This record gives sequence, structure tokens and C-alpha cells, in this order.
Amino acid sequence: MVTLTIDNQSITVPKGTTVLDAAEKLGIVVPHFCYHEALGAVGACRLCAVYIETEQSKGVQMSCLVEAAEGMVVNTLEPTAVELRQHVIEWLMTNHPHDCPVCDEGGECQLQDMTIAGGQSIRRYRGKKRTYSNQELGPFIEQEMNRCIQCYRCVRTYRDYFGGTDFGVMGSRNRVFFGRFEPGRLESPFSGNLADVCPTGVFTDKTYRFKSRYWDLQEAESICPHCSLGCATIPGGRYRELQRVRSGTSKEVNGHFICDRGRFGYGYVNHPDRLRVPRINGEECDRHEALAAINDKIEKLGGEAVGFLGSSRTALETNAMIKSWAEQSGSKSVCFECHPQRDNAARSWVALRGDRGRSLADIRRSDFILLLGSDPLNEAPMLAAAIRQAESSGSQVAVIDARPVKLPFKAAHLVVRPEKLSTIIRALKSGAFDNFERHEQLFFEGVLKSIKKAERPILVGGGDLLQAEGVAALCELMAQLPEAGGDFVHLSGPNSYGAAMLSGAAPDFETILDDIITGKIRALVCVESDPFADYPDRKRLQEALSKLEFLVVADYINGPAAAKADIFLPTAAPAESAGTYINCEGRMQRFKPVLKPGEPLRITGDGGHPPRRFSHETPGDQPRSAAEFIANLVGQPVTINDLRQQIAADDDRFSGLDQPEQGMLCRANGELPTTVNREDVPGKGDDLLHLLPVADLFGSGPLLSYCSALDAVRSAPCVVLSESDAASIGVANGENVSLQTAEGKLAVEVRIDAKALPGLVLIPQTGADAFLPGGVMIPCSIRKNGARDE
Amino acid sequence: MKHPQLLFKNRIPGETVFFDGYRKSGGYEGLEKTIKSMSPAEVTELVKASGLCGRGGAGFPTGTKWSFFPSDQPGPKYLVCNCDEMEPGTYKDGVLLRTDPHQLIEGMIITAYALQTPEAYVFIRYAYEDCAQNLERAVAEAKEAGYLGKDILGSGFSCEIHVHRSAGRYICGEETALLSGLEGRRPNPRLKPPFPAVRGLFDRPTTVNNVETLANIQHIVTGGADWFKSLALTEEGAGTKLFGLSGHLEKTECFELPLGVTLDEIVNEHGGGVRGGKKFKACLPGGASTPYLAANHLDVPLDFTAITRAGSRLGTAGVTVFDEETCMVAVTLNLIRFFARESCGWCTPCRDGLPYVAWLLEQFEQGEATEEHLENLRGQFRNIAGRSFCALAEGAMGPVEGLFNCFEEELVDHIKKGRCPFK
Amino acid sequence: MNELLTTEQIEDFRNRAEQLEHPKELVIDLLRAVQARNGWVPDEGVALIASLLGVAAVEVEEVATFYDKIFRLPVGKKVIHICDSICCWSRGGEELAAALQQKLGIGFGETTEDGLFTLLPTCCLGACGEAPAIMVGLKTYGHLTPDQLDEVLATEREEAR
Ligand SMILES: Cc1cc2nc3c(=O)[nH]c(=O)nc-3n(C[C@H](O)[C@H](O)[C@H](O)COP(=O)(O)O)c2cc1C
Ligand code: SF4
Ligand code: FES
Repeated sequence: MVTLTIDNQSITVPKGTTVLDAAEKLGIVVPHFCYHEALGAVGACRLCAVYIETEQSKGVQMSCLVEAAEGMVVNTLEPTAVELRQHVIEWLMTNHPHDCPVCDEGGECQLQDMTIAGGQSIRRYRGKKRTYSNQELGPFIEQEMNRCIQCYRCVRTYRDYFGGTDFGVMGSRNRVFFGRFEPGRLESPFSGNLADVCPTGVFTDKTYRFKSRYWDLQEAESICPHCSLGCATIPGGRYRELQRVRSGTSKEVNGHFICDRGRFGYGYVNHPDRLRVPRINGEECDRHEALAAINDKIEKLGGEAVGFLGSSRTALETNAMIKSWAEQSGSKSVCFECHPQRDNAARSWVALRGDRGRSLADIRRSDFILLLGSDPLNEAPMLAAAIRQAESSGSQVAVIDARPVKLPFKAAHLVVRPEKLSTIIRALKSGAFDNFERHEQLFFEGVLKSIKKAERPILVGGGDLLQAEGVAALCELMAQLPEAGGDFVHLSGPNSYGAAMLSGAAPDFETILDDIITGKIRALVCVESDPFADYPDRKRLQEALSKLEFLVVADYINGPAAAKADIFLPTAAPAESAGTYINCEGRMQRFKPVLKPGEPLRITGDGGHPPRRFSHETPGDQPRSAAEFIANLVGQPVTINDLRQQIAADDDRFSGLDQPEQGMLCRANGELPTTVNREDVPGKGDDLLHLLPVADLFGSGPLLSYCSALDAVRSAPCVVLSESDAASIGVANGENVSLQTAEGKLAVEVRIDAKALPGLVLIPQTGADAFLPGGVMIPCSIRKNGARDE
Repeated sequence: MKHPQLLFKNRIPGETVFFDGYRKSGGYEGLEKTIKSMSPAEVTELVKASGLCGRGGAGFPTGTKWSFFPSDQPGPKYLVCNCDEMEPGTYKDGVLLRTDPHQLIEGMIITAYALQTPEAYVFIRYAYEDCAQNLERAVAEAKEAGYLGKDILGSGFSCEIHVHRSAGRYICGEETALLSGLEGRRPNPRLKPPFPAVRGLFDRPTTVNNVETLANIQHIVTGGADWFKSLALTEEGAGTKLFGLSGHLEKTECFELPLGVTLDEIVNEHGGGVRGGKKFKACLPGGASTPYLAANHLDVPLDFTAITRAGSRLGTAGVTVFDEETCMVAVTLNLIRFFARESCGWCTPCRDGLPYVAWLLEQFEQGEATEEHLENLRGQFRNIAGRSFCALAEGAMGPVEGLFNCFEEELVDHIKKGRCPFK
Repeated sequence: MNELLTTEQIEDFRNRAEQLEHPKELVIDLLRAVQARNGWVPDEGVALIASLLGVAAVEVEEVATFYDKIFRLPVGKKVIHICDSICCWSRGGEELAAALQQKLGIGFGETTEDGLFTLLPTCCLGACGEAPAIMVGLKTYGHLTPDQLDEVLATEREEAR
């Protein structure tokens, strides 16, 4: 630690802290552009000048480049430093178009702020300005190069931080251009961060273009609902419409950035087909009517005949309410995930994750990372970014997976059948590789050697491919890692972990289905869960649910279950309510409401502005948070804070949930799931292959298909085939084939991958035609198009 | 006055000396002596003792620079010769390589031995294609003779020299930008520290030296440190220096003169006086980035230290002379336009500040400047000089500094007359 | 010329790239090689170089657009660079430039109608002792007066044809 004085105030900071950061700790903001906490200092903009009074490095210095030293005296208001900052602003503004009135950055523009802070308010330069032509960069990012101040943050983010390869800096002197080699969509799944890091309006969020001024925007701290990492986000909305999402900051989780799925996947909240009025048998009705009808029916059937289903995208508070509702009604059938394999993987992780579970921040600092059944870019994108940070500071990365896992850096990759993963992990633990092929043995030996050499190795697993058994094996292998090593498993939903904690050893959804089939259960209440979309075996589900007498669905998306519901309750989307998700490392993270529910003005106004209909009511404001509905039902209206207190009091694993502090880790453990032994490798007939639906960046998860901003980037449905399978079917890369499973038929394009395994067909869930939820393999056959079906 | 010739001792204008001629005049004896009788550390010590200062512009003591080099660190290490030479008024390295290219090769091999770098590069500018070809031939000849390549003269020391042809841009001469350029990346300068000696080419220890600096090495090895020091006319100087003359002189040629020779001798003796019998007004004494010296400075001895007392720098010793009819504002504008155009675009003072200064000077030249512009120009100078990321913009302020020091009344005159008084 | 590089050149560069630990150091050599054959570097040239070096096209473009002696737009058979830096300026560079433009009938950045010459200004050519100077292709002409231009242009025109 060193102690220094800045503007007559003294502060003690860790050695290695820059003067700029030390000043910021004192609340003294030294103006700056090119410096960024995540990107580091490069000394390019020259704005952060301060005056150092003490001998060592005396004079005007760039505060981002000077390390705080013991006894250093810094003056940020010294006239020559102030004069330089003023000049830097003047220089940067020489070519600026002064188009703030039509610029989307207005109001949250660092250049505006710094221009004011710099005190250079008069334009003295009267020379010509240089102008650029802009590039079309795809559906997410708008470019307006004339506003550029050359801080190089964009390229440092896109290329250096995220490893994107299709963006760079061209030209030189005062004509540098930041963009692509040729116009076209930015390929990196992290492209949206350009909008956040650009300090002015060069790169802005195209989906938000011309929608709001920053100061008119309603914003709140939130947590991304699109995977289990739980990145901090700040959604913003106006006129009852969610209009954008920007990255929040979370040191332990995402740092400063988020992925494009999290940023541009917000359209489900505003979806025009979203049901906003309660319905009984398809007829719109009053909310109290619907609630009364639900109460009546449950009373009539008796609680034992009712099954309750929450989900991994439902807030912890709601799931807890579902649990107590079930208890009150006398039901023992309550479950928080309708995909049993995912449920059990999550429960297994919750039960076995010891105190050496690691965070994304730990991963960024790790020196060896082994990915087991994990495809970060498609399943949990910011994990890929975290691993890249480790990789760029020298960490090695190895991948064992069934998929052609692509990463934004180089990594060793072994392709194996998914069902072999557990065996492999156990073999890594025992060190006995006799049953493997030579190239596999070599790979495993290399992995063990690297683990031994590393100080902070981390095992990263994916719940979908590992399933309960693999997760358990991974936790056992972790015990062999050096002290500072640990493990990390990502799950399917934003609250999978919380859901699994609540489930404990209770029966999973299979048992509920069994009970429905035998008639023991006659009613099902689905709260923000949709087995028709997410349960893997559709045939069995149809059979079971056709026997149901009564189906209640409460949701904010209009999924297949909603259409089948006897009673439908519209719930508030996460952006419209408060709640807590527990991310895959057991971190309790709160989200706050951004907007009140209501139909967006652009829908009610038929596109006209201002709207022509007026009333005292807000159109479409019926949705309530699911927790509130249930509270009404069980007759105990509570606030979210009461609810949190109650949950924390009832179960000390959740202690701290009611504290205002964000991101506390919950106190470990759940119980191991009881029923996990199901046959999961399907049989194989003569021309049958195994089909594995796999996650896709813009296709997976229940919400993404309701996000129109993603339509333009969704890839066409395709299957990934091995060379030998393609040869025996007689198809070439890019050809269309017909894919047949018990679920139906689908026309898809073939992609041949040299690394794909014979007998295994991968189908990315591109969302265009969500085939199956993934996490389970099924048999399939593939025919060349035009080949006749027999 | 005749002065001793080292670097130009084989010089025959219009001709290039290659291997045979070079050998005949004692070439490669320095290398043989080094390899057979000196340890690497001894070479560095000798160069340190000789007082040789870098000839690339900054004038940093060469031996001291080498002594920071981790020559015993295992793994790849590099020696890089800087032949970018793109500063206006500077052409001495080109003349040297057209005259006697083996001098550089021999100097580089001795240096590589001293630093224990098995790989060496010559970074050569686009316009010097003839020099590049001379060097390629010299490299081939040296290899053929066993002075270069594997196991040089049976010493166990090996060294390869690669010739890299660039494609324009003055910034490539800045040593860290040059390294980025050699790596095939954008030639932006890099943050220092780490210095190239710690993390240079491909992140490995690297030393960058100028052509003339390296060409001096074998002369030091054969002649000794004391002799080398004694070549200079001033106490502080050491060795000779190539002075490239240009501008309004009768003779615009490159001369090898002792360090410490006076400006007067250069202008009036070697340069044959100002062209057309006009009067000497000013000069850039060391390339485009050095503050002007005026007529009252003619007695200043040109070495690295004495010249700083006169308010300028020796730089590259490219002496560009201006006669009495030259508008110094126009000269400065021409220079600033050069620097603005050659900015790499990395830092604000240079990228946007230099075009701003150019615009201000245009206002003077067009007769539209006011007192405010003069005040503004002063402010620009104060805030660019010493504030940029690398020394390019710093250098650009050299002439502006000279303008304020020696010719401020000319600026005022432009304002008063509302036009350029020289047009 | 329809090939940007000959098969032998491609083979040679590929071999060199394979042997190098940092193949990207060849990028300037490659850009210059393409330009030597084709006169300038078209988009396909950038893509070809990127593929030979195993890097993204934009990485090559970043370098290509930095250097002023790499042309990313079509130029005439020969590029005439005329120095506009201080020494040439002091010895009649501006008059020479005016004469050159007048004789060629084009301005800076333009190409003569017969496609033979493109005229560009350049910073110092390192020919300060022979000012004013121009560079045609890779050849430098010094001590030029406007009168001598006819002869220079005639020689170069002869060669270009
Ligand atoms: C903009 C700029 C251009 C430079 N150009 C050259 C050059 O062309 N040749 C050169 O030797 N040094 C040049 N230098 C100086 C080099 O950075 C470096 O100091 C020098 O090559 C070291 O060699 P020396 O110690 O032998 O002089 C330049 C510096 C700057 C800032
Ligand atoms: S001073 Fe700045 S912009 Fe200019 S060349 Fe150096 S780093 Fe580049
Ligand atoms: S200034 Fe023109 S060649 Fe040097």
C-alpha cells in the first residue's frame, strides 16, 4: 500500500494503482478518454493530465500512466495541466460535426461531459473539417465516424479484449477509420459493447436508434435472463417499451461487458403477441375473476391432485411462493424445472459444489482451464470472454466436447461422444486411461500435466452435456486440483441454481408426469414455465397432459402452453418486476423493475404519435408479478422485501437475501437428486443416427425467439455431420436434407465438419424452428432432398 | 579545411565500394580483431569509453544503451538497424550506403557479437531501393567470405542479417514504431517502459541503432576509444559526423566533418556559402525537428552539447540553410505540414494539434492572422511540446520554438502588414 | 495482368510463412510484391495476403492503409512522387510541381488519360542534397529544373510502354 496526496486530500491505495484511479477513489474525476478500467491505459488521448509536485516524475503527467507512489503529491488543478486538458478538448473538437441534436449519444456522451469539464467552450479553429463515409455494420450497431475522437477503445475492446477478427483501425494521422474491411455485419458475439465503450456517438445501439433521449429513459439495475452467468445489465425503457439494454458492472461476474444475446435479446418484453389480459377458457376476464376460479378449482380437486411447476427463469421469490402455495394447498408435487436432465444436473451441482466453486473473475485470473462439455460462446458467452482474458495473460485452455467448440482464441480440442464425458472425467481422476484410444490418452496425459503445473487451474463444465452424473464426476475431479484451483459449472437458466436449491431431493417433473398419467394428478399450474416448449420428450408430454382436467398458465411470453391453458394469468416480465436470480456460482443477484407493465405506446398508437386514444387506464397494464398473483391467491399480500425476509428466515442457505448488498454468495448446498438413472443414450436402428440439439448463441433459451431484433442474425436451420455420415447419405456441404425424428420432419442445410463424430448429428437451436430443447439425444434419420420416403 | 575521413575514406562520388575494395582498405579487420581477441562485454566497454553517441537524432550514448541490454538472457534477441531516414533535410545514411555498405555490415556483426544477438534486421525506407540492393549484395558477399552466417570465423557465434524494405511513413523511424512495423503490425509507437532492451521485436530484447552509429563501430575497435574521442574538435564530442547540407547553399552535399565544427565553417567553407551571394538568414542545424539557428549563431560549434546552449539540437546533422529572402513563417508551415501528414494518428496533440498549428500558420501566410492567432499559436506550442506520446510531435515543435526564439518579429510583421511580407 | 502473384511467388511466400514464428512480418513484402506485379493492391490482393499469412483481411488492410507507398486504388503504370518537403521547397519544388502538373495535364492524385502516370506529392525522399527531386517508380531524379522534365518524362514514357 502507498499513501499519496491528491488535491490536498490523502489516500492510501494498493501498489500499482494509477494516479487516475487513486483520484477517482477520492471522488476526483480526472477527465479521460482512452483509459478504461477493463482495457487499461495506453496514453493516447492525453486528456488525463495532472501535475505531479514531488521529485519523482515531477511535472505534467498522464495520470493513467503514472503509478501512485509513497509520498507523491498530485495537483489536478495546476494551471498547466488544466491548460493541456483544455487544448486536448479543443483539438478533439476540431473535426467534430457538432451534431448533438441528432446524436443518440446525447446526454450520456463522455465527449459532451469532458468538453464541459475541459472548460474550452469557444471554437477558435475555423479550418476545414474532415468527413468520412460510414459503413453498414449489420442490425446491431450504427456507425457515424465523423464523431470519432480516436480513443481506440473500440478496437481495443473488439479485438484485444474479445478476440474479434473482423474489425480494426485503418488509415493514419487525422484520418484513422475504425471499422471492417468491407461493410457487413459485425461477426463478434460481443459487438454490442462498442456502443458502451465508445465515449461519443460513433458506435450506437441500432435497435435503440432515435427512440429516446438518455434523460427520458427509465433505467434500473438488472440481471440478464439469458443464461446462468447472471451478468449485470442496465435495461432502459420509455413509453412502456423496453428500448435497450446496456452493460452493468460487476467485478466478480461480467466485469464491464455483456454479450449480444444479453444486449439485443430484450424484445420479448414488448412482443406484440404478448397476452396482457387474464383469460378463462380463452375469454378475456378480470384478474380477480381468474384468481377466484383458480382457487375454486383447486379446492374442488384437493391439493393432492394439483401439480405445481416453476422454472429456472422465474425469480427465486416467485419459486418460493409457488412452494409455499403448494404446501398450503396440501400438494406434494412441486417442481421448478420441467426439463428433468437439466434439473438434475443443476441439483447435482448445487449439492456437490463445495467452497471451491469459482467465479468468472477467478476464471479471468486462472492459469489453466479445462472445458468439459461446455461450449461457452453458445451456452454462456461471457464465459468465453473471461477465458480469453486468462488466455491472453498466458493461461492454457483445453476442451473436451462433442461439439466443434469455437472459441475466440486457440485451444486444444478433443472430440468425444457426449455420454462418454463422465467416464472420461473419472478416468482423469484415476489416471487410468487403458480403455481409451492412443490420441485420447495423449490428450489426457497432457491435461493432467498442465493441471499439475498450474497454480490456479479451473474445471469448467456445462450442465447440459455433463448431466447429473458428469457434474458429480467433475466435482470429484476438482478435489484433486491444487489448493487455489476450483470448478465452475454453467446451467440452463438464470435461476437454475436457485430453483435447484428449492427443489432439494423432491421428485422431478418425470414423477409429476407419471402421476398425471396414472390420474393421481389432475391439475397443473405452470408459472413462467412451459413444458410444451422445454420438456424433451414431446410424445410423452402430449400423452400426459391430454389427461389433465385443468391447466393454469401464468407467464409473460405467449408460448405453446398459454394457448392450451384453461386459465391464463399474464405476469410481469423481469424488466417490470423485482426479483432475485441465483447464478450458476450461487450468487444471489437482484433485479429491479425498469418499467411498469403496459402496452408500448407504439402499439397502442397504431404507429401514430402522439397516440389518439386517451383513457385513465394504461392499456395492457394487467400483468402483475407472478409472486404478487400467488400472494393474492394464498391470501397473504406481501411486499418483495417481506418475501425476501421470510425466505431468508425460513432457510439459512439464503441468509443475506434480504440485505441490500448485491451479489452475496448463498451458503452452499442442496441435496442430491434422487432419480437420475434414465436411459439417455437412445437406441440405434439401421439408418438411425443420434441427434443432439445443441445451444446456439441467438437461438437457445425460451425468450430469444420472441426477440425480433435477433431475426436478422439467426442462422438458417442446419445439421452438423461428420464426413463419413455425409458420404454415406450422399450429401455435400451446404446441400439441403430432410431430417426426420419421432417429433417430426425438418428441412435443414448440411454442414460437414471435419471434427464431427460419425453417428452423431448436431442440430444448433437456431430458434427459427425450435426443434427440441436440447440436453438430450434422440434418434433421427437424414435423407437427401428429393430422395423418396418409403 | 581538410578533416580526417573514416566513414567516407573510401568515397568516390558516384561509385559504390563492395567487398574487394572494402577489404583492401582494411575492412573486416575490426571484426576479426573483435571475434578473436575480445569478449562481448569488452566491446561494449570500449564503445562506452569511446564516447560514441547515437547518430539517429537523439544522441544517446551508444555504449550506455548497450550496457542495458541483457546479452546473456537465453532465447531470441535482436539487433535492428534504423535506416528509415525520412526526416526532411536528412540523407546521410543513404549516402553512406551508396558509398560503402560493408561498413554497416561489419559494424552490425560486431554489435551483434557484443550484444549476442543471432538475428539482425536492417529497416530501410521505400525510397532507398538502391541502398537496399547494395546491402543485399554486401550481405551475400560477407556470408560468402565467412564473416556472416553460421559460426563466424570459427568463433561459435552466428548471426543473420535480414534486409526489410518499408513502404513509406516517417513515423517508422521512431524505434518502437519501427519494431511494430517490422512485425507486420501498424507502425504505431509503443509505450515505454518497457524499453526495447527488455521487450522489443516480437517482445524480445532488442537494440535499435542508426546506420551511421553502427558504421562507426569497427573504426572504434581498430582505432581505439581515445583516438575516436580525439577526432572531435570539442571536449564533449567524440568522433566524426556526417553532415548533409541542403537548402540555399552553393554546394548541397554530404560531408564527414569532426564533431564540433562551427556552423560558419559548414556554411561558408564546405557549403560554398549561400547561393547567389545572398545573406545567411537561418538554418535547421539537424533536420526538420530542430529549432532554427540564426546568423548570430554562426560561431556555434556543432556537437551534441554545445548546440543545446544555443537553443537547438544536433539531431541528424542535416543542415538546411535559408537565405535572407526566405519567409520563416512559410518555412515553418511547410515543416508543420510535413509533421501533420506523417503523424501516426495515435495521440491527440500530434494527430489533431499539428493540423491546427498548420491552419494557424496558414492564417499568417494568408494575411488573416490577428494578435489572437499569435497568442493561440503560443498556447499550441506550449501544449504540444513535451506532451505527445512519442517524439514526433515534440520534434514538430522544434521549428516553432525556433520561430518564437529567433523570428517572432516576422510573425508580428505578418499581422501588421496583413500579408506575407516576403511575397 | 490477371494474377496478383505468380504461382511460384505464392509457393515461396507460403514456405517462408510456414518457417517463420511470426509470419505476419511478411505483410509488407507481400503488399509490395502484389503491387509490383499489379501496380496497386486491390481488395482481392488484401484477401490473398491475409489467407497466405493466416490472418483476417482487416489485419492486412490496417497495415496497407497506413503506408503511403502502398496503393489501395488504381494508379497509372508509373507513379510520379514529387517531394514537397522543405529542402525541395527551398529550391524550386513548387515551380517544379506546377510544371509537372501542366506537362502531364493532371493534378495531384490524378492519372493521365493514357494510364501511364499518376502524380502524387510525397514527403522528403532523402534526396535533399539534390533538391528538387522526384521519384518515378523506385527511381529518384534530382537537381531537376522544369525544363529537364520533358526528358525525364520521355524516358519514363518509353519504359512504361
Ligand atoms: C519521429 C521519429 C523519427 C525517427 N527517425 C529516425 C530515423 O529515420 N533513423 C534513425 O536512426 N533514428 C530515427 N529516430 C530515432 C530513433 O527513435 C532512435 O532513437 C534511433 O534509431 C536510435 O539509434 P541511435 O542511438 O543509434 O541514434 C526517429 C525518432 C523519431 C521520434
Ligand atoms: S506524437 Fe503521437 S500521433 Fe504523433 S506520431 Fe507520435 S504517437 Fe503518433
Ligand atoms: S526535402 Fe526533398 S528530398 Fe529532402
